[in-house]
Formats: sequence, C-alpha cells, structure tokens
Amino acid sequence: MSAVRAAREPLLWLAMTLTAATAVAADTPQSWLDRMNAALTTRNYDGVFSHWQSGRVETLRIVHRVVDGAVTERLESLDGSGRQLVSNGSEMTCYLPDQRTVLVEKAPRSLMPAELPKFSDATADFYQLDSLGTMRQMGQKAQVISVTPRDGYRYGYRLWIQRSTGMPLKTELLDTAGNVIEQVVFSSLSMRHHIADDELKPLLVTTGFNWLRDDGAPAVTVEGMGAWTNTPLPPGFHLVAQTAQMMPGVTEPVTHLVFSDGIATVSVFIQTQTIRSSPNQVRPGMAQVGSSSAFTSVQSGHKFVALGEVPPATVRFIIDALLHQSAGQALGR
Amino acid sequence: MSNEELDSQLSAMFDDELPATECELLARRLARDEQLRGRWGRYAAIGACIRGEHGVRLSAPLASKVSAALTQEAAARAAPATDRRKPGITWVTSLAGLATAAAVAAIAILWIRAQGPVLVAQSQSGPVPNLAAQTKMAPSTPVTATPPGAEQSAGQVAAALTRPRPSREPDSYVVPLAVPQGPALVPPTELANYIVAHSVYSGPLMRRNALSALVGEDAAAPQVITLQPIDATVVTGK
Repeated sequence: MSAVRAAREPLLWLAMTLTAATAVAADTPQSWLDRMNAALTTRNYDGVFSHWQSGRVETLRIVHRVVDGAVTERLESLDGSGRQLVSNGSEMTCYLPDQRTVLVEKAPRSLMPAELPKFSDATADFYQLDSLGTMRQMGQKAQVISVTPRDGYRYGYRLWIQRSTGMPLKTELLDTAGNVIEQVVFSSLSMRHHIADDELKPLLVTTGFNWLRDDGAPAVTVEGMGAWTNTPLPPGFHLVAQTAQMMPGVTEPVTHLVFSDGIATVSVFIQTQTIRSSPNQVRPGMAQVGSSSAFTSVQSGHKFVALGEVPPATVRFIIDALLHQSAGQALGR
Repeated sequence: MSNEELDSQLSAMFDDELPATECELLARRLARDEQLRGRWGRYAAIGACIRGEHGVRLSAPLASKVSAALTQEAAARAAPATDRRKPGITWVTSLAGLATAAAVAAIAILWIRAQGPVLVAQSQSGPVPNLAAQTKMAPSTPVTATPPGAEQSAGQVAAALTRPRPSREPDSYVVPLAVPQGPALVPPTELANYIVAHSVYSGPLMRRNALSALVGEDAAAPQVITLQPIDATVVTGK
C-alpha cells in the first residue's frame, strides 16, 4: 500500500462515518431544508436547469464555486440571448450581448447585518413542513419536502432534494391556492471538488460593449431611516436589514428595508419622488416579475416600492402600513 | 416521436390536459431540444394572445418571424400565413389562421413597446381587465396600438414594426435613464434594478430563481412585466 493510499483510507472512513451520521440526523423535513440551504451555499456545483414560469421555459447553466467562504457564481442563459450574470459577493456583473451592454453593480453594504433566511422553530408557526417520501428525480433518489404556508401572506414550496448531496433537483413554487407558479428542474448536475477560474468567466467577447457601472456608493444614513422599525407587518415578518444606497437613475440615496418571515423576504425601497405628477397620476401599481410581486405608491413626496417573492397581498399590506405610518409622522410634525 | 405527436403533447400541456408524468418527460426533452423550445415559445405566445393575457412575452426570434410573416402577408394582401400546423390541436384549430394570431401577437408587441413604463402602473379603481382597456391609457405615440380583435391591416402592423423605437425606451433595465414623465410610478428598468438589489437578501433558492428570471431571454426587456390584478381576497391569519 502506498503512503498516499494509507493516508487516504482513514479519511475515507471518517467521511463515510460522518455521512452516515448526518443521514440519520437528517430525517426531519427541517433538517432536509437545512441541508439544502447548506448545499446551495457551501458546495461547488455545475448544472443545467429549466426555469418554468408564466408559460415560458428558459434553460440556464449555473456554475457555483465556494472557496474559503467566498462565493463566485456564473449564471448563463442557454436560450439564444446568451445573457450571463457573474457575481462574486462584492459585485454583480450582468452581460447582455443582445443589448451589447454590461452592467456592474456593487453589492450594498448594509448598516444592519442581514440574517440569511433560514428555517427555524419560529418559521413553524407560519409554514407546515412535511416529508412526502422518497422519489426518483433525474435518476437520483430525492427526498420530497413540502412547505405549506399557514396563511395567505406567503407562498408554498415543494422540493425534490437529492439524498446524497442535499441539492434541490426540482423545486416548485405554489401560490396561495396551491397552483404551481414557478418550477426549476435540473437536467444535469455535478458536484465538483474544483472549479477553475476560467469556468466562472463569461464566454463572450465584450469588445464595443457599453459598460455601465454603479459607482458603488457606500451605505449612507438617511434622516428618519429608523422611523420604519415599528411598522406593523404581516404575521411573522420582521426587519432583518436596512441600508441606504445609490441606485441608477436616482440622484438621492434610496432607503432599503428588508423584512423576512424566515423563508420569504420582502424589500421596501423608499425614495424621494422626482416625477411631476398630477393627483390622478399618483396611484398604486401592482406588478409581477417572475414569481416576485411588487407594489408601488407615492405619498408626501416619497415613492414606496415593496418587492418580494410573496403574494401580492403581502407587499400591499406592507406598503399600506408604511403609508399609514408616514401619514401619522407627517401629522405629528 | 413525430412532430405531430409533439405538437399534440405541447397543445395538451397548454390545455392542462397532459398527465404529470408526460409533462416531466416533455420538460426534459424541452431542456435539450432547441427546436422543440421554439415550438413551445410559439404556443405560449399565441395561446396567451388567445386567452387575452396581459403583457405577452415574445422572444426576439419569434417577433422577427411574426414581422416577416406579416410583411409577406401584406404583399399578398391578407393571404393566410404558411404555418403547417397539424390538425387535432385543440385551441389552435379554432383560429381563423396563423395570420390572425400573428397579427394579435404583433399588436401585443407594439402595445407593450408603446406603453413601456405604463405596464407597471395600474388604476386604484380596479385591475385593468384586458389589453383593450389598457390601450386607452396609452399616451399619444407614433405607433398606433390597437387592441386584439380590432381591425388593423397586416400592412399597417408590419410598417409599424419596422419603425424605430423612441430613443427614451431602453431595451435593457441597465440603462440608468432618469424617471420618465407620465403616470408610470416604477419604470420596468427601475423595477429590475430593485430585483437585483433585493436578491442580495433573498434565500439561496429564491435568489437563484429571481436572477434566472432576469437572465432569461427577453426577461430584462419591458415585456417581462405583466400586470396582475390587485389581490383583493381576504387573507386569513393563523
């Protein structure tokens, strides 16, 4: 037996023992969800998946690498446009060859550290977790977990989690009536020990492209930002982050509040309203992008935008509460 | 599997009549078959037009095909377009022909591009019921947006398709233009920027899905945004 093999075998046994112990501990739905989140954020992987939503299907490739906790990711559309997105934690670069444009956005620095959404005992008050058994997906054994909301303020999920890796091979997002509104299905997925730098670079020539850079303005404090911390929220949601950042097309910092119930997150952006509007033009608007809902309103010279992967009623609830609070503050001045 | 069988399967899928197991198989085939994805896109667009959905999303290749078909049609004076769709496809056979669907689709493109930011604005008095109603909100524009069903010659549509778009209508959400005048509260470009900013705080699963929606073809263009009625249902607490 070579020296190398002799050194490897104890490590192999240790790994197998740990894997077996983890498998025993990972039989509850919550532990499967924890494993999934851990796999998505800590493992190297390379896969192709179909993203179904609103009657359309897109095929994308994702390459995800984690080195010493630093995540680098490349997301590429395989359906003609060739759009790609590369993020490395500090900045996100969008390559839009069909527009001959590249956008570079710096990640905002939060004034208040954000909690990553996670499953906990608290989320059990708002979601019911069930294990629906083991099924085959992509030729692999998958544990099927159902996350069912207990009220109408959040969406539900069904997840096919690969038993050997914890990776979600298939995910479904369900509306409040239980209808599937978004689906992601991997057609190939490989967990890799090493991903080279070149695999995270965009595979296109950007000569002649228009580069648009967010200047990465540092987080700033906006007067009155703390006023929103006591806003009534839908059950289970709480403030997890707040910051203020410069955004393209806006001359003043935009206040950014982030609310979460542990699984779903909602962002609220508050900015000084810059358009001249007659009273009948100032009206709320609901928009849908992918599975995200957005609701907008204007009051007292400020524009409020709530956005998140939640039902429309949730973003509207939050905006209404903020408007009510804003009006109260204006009266109290 | 023959093209006819695939067409039937796609049709059944859009009619929600395809068994789940067959849906899975078709999904896998879609993931690796570019030609089949092209068929899928066409069915989705035409089906959405027929159902009168808002903000129909058409891929650039489809839009160019529609434009080409309409140009030929204008030359031939409203002869039916040359789609070799097979019989036995439930909702497709109810059409007078592809020309009708193509015209509807083209009008949808025109409407979407003419409306631009207005897509995300909505009256407080209630949801906008259909494209026709939304068209009434349109500001004056060199492109005449006509609701589906209204009479408009294919030549007019084709001519309008070839006109340059107003310079202030960005193709991509990345263009940092000033907020335009008008009733729009959140232009699509701005909304997409919000999605990117929000994704930083989403969980890994939802973050991936949100960014996938942006990276997807045409996703960053205005037509990605579809109106939804304000959900007036009573939300019950726990």
